[in-house]
Amino acid sequence: MSEYKKPLPLITRTSKVFYDGCRENKLLYQHCKDCGEVIFFPKELCPNCMGRNLDWRESKGKGKIHTFTIAYAAAPPEFTDDQPFVLAIIELDEGYRMMSNIVECDFETLSCEMSVEVVFDPVTPEITLPKFRPVSK
Amino acid sequence: MGSIRGKTAVVGIGEVPTGIYPERSFIEAAVTASEMAIRNSGIKKEDIDTVIPIVVVANALDNANMVCSWMIEELGLGKTAKSNFQIASGGSSSANALKTAAALVNAGLSKAVLIVHSDRLGTGLDLGMAIAMFAKVSTSQEYEMPYGFSQLALAGLLQQRFMYDTETTERQIAAVVETNRKWAALNPNSIFYKKPITIEKVLESPVISSPVRARTMNKLCDGASAFIVTSAERARDLTDRPAYILGLSSRCTHFTVTQQPDFFKAWSPAVDEAYEMAGIGPENVDVAELYDAFPTFTLISTELTRLCGRGEAGRFFEEGHAAPGGKLPIQTNGAMMGQGHTGAGGGPALLVEAVRQITGKAGERQVSDVRNAIVTGSGGVGMDFHMEVLGKEV
Repeated sequence: MSEYKKPLPLITRTSKVFYDGCRENKLLYQHCKDCGEVIFFPKELCPNCMGRNLDWRESKGKGKIHTFTIAYAAAPPEFTDDQPFVLAIIELDEGYRMMSNIVECDFETLSCEMSVEVVFDPVTPEITLPKFRPVSK
Repeated sequence: MGSIRGKTAVVGIGEVPTGIYPERSFIEAAVTASEMAIRNSGIKKEDIDTVIPIVVVANALDNANMVCSWMIEELGLGKTAKSNFQIASGGSSSANALKTAAALVNAGLSKAVLIVHSDRLGTGLDLGMAIAMFAKVSTSQEYEMPYGFSQLALAGLLQQRFMYDTETTERQIAAVVETNRKWAALNPNSIFYKKPITIEKVLESPVISSPVRARTMNKLCDGASAFIVTSAERARDLTDRPAYILGLSSRCTHFTVTQQPDFFKAWSPAVDEAYEMAGIGPENVDVAELYDAFPTFTLISTELTRLCGRGEAGRFFEEGHAAPGGKLPIQTNGAMMGQGHTGAGGGPALLVEAVRQITGKAGERQVSDVRNAIVTGSGGVGMDFHMEVLGKEV
């Protein structure tokens, strides 16, 4: 297995919880115990009520493509060898959005609002990235 | 809080040609644009007590030196200036600078404010660096960086969803580029002066980040522009043709593209407030200098500013209404698609063009009888939206 050369996520005390979850194939998001706000990207303060009483919940990993683009050229240098690849914004069923790649897909049939589900890609021993694939009908 | 409607005006503008100018230094361009603005306004340079340089992207040292009062020394303002400080909010920097300048002048804290932009994205930045930089800014390092985002991808993501929501066609997107290039062909300061392009040529170009094609991408350029804001009274002493600042407002909503809100819900209040302060509506707009970076944002902004209805902007451009001779000229300098992308310079270039149109100095591109012009701006990955109304009369 060749060395992984693409950017890895910045690991902070907060993001460590998220990526520890991914390593166990769990897609986590935050929830404010004071006001009920669904929070993603994970934060220190609830952006709604400024409370610090946040906890983590596990997403079912299902959602829809809000929008996507297929990068054929001019992607960031570390991604050149991956071209073409799909970058997308996913709307999770729990009501938050995340950026990811769509994998195991036919470029021709991709569309906004298409149903997708999470797949976990262990890119290094420490980091597993959540990616998404179309839900087969 | 009282309205600042008509209390301040733009009195002088300057701009050097946008393009690939390896022989022209960063500071030469900044000084030349500032000199033009000062001479054009007729103001005594000693009356400029505040200088606001706009953020420089291509070179960190140039940027830091502008922060540290480089312009004060170059323009010999050291005996009279009170402040030099930078405004940096990407593509909305000029909008925030105009707002700040208008507020300082209106409060009596400044007599006149010089706002200056210079950058060398055409020759001062290599393409690999440019891609790396534009890929990393405005992204979450924890949750977005691993996936290959870039500013081109941003254009693709926005265009894809906009086409899905509004049934805008690729041909209509290309029509925006054709329109930009028709205006740019008339603009001696544009890299595409006398170089129009057809919809067909745009659609022939390869897809780079779907559905964005090579010719729906902007070109990185060198450029510089400047403008001076002062009180309406002082403006009237200097010229019989000031461009009055009649209204402005803005909304700042998010950091990353993933978290972008529904633009129409989130930003329409800024549009409404700017029109209301100016006492006009979209039907009174004679020319619209809308911030673009890429054509989808032009269409979104045309609809947001209510120059046409939701989902109608594509057809509006395709039918030629925004082009030279059309019923509502839009982006008469060619905007960034037509004039060139100079970092945070797309904003001041549009503002300077609005002032030209109001003061009757737009040459071949002059729209007849311009009373009101709107200018918009947006920074980051579309993190905010600003609208200003400039007018010939208070």
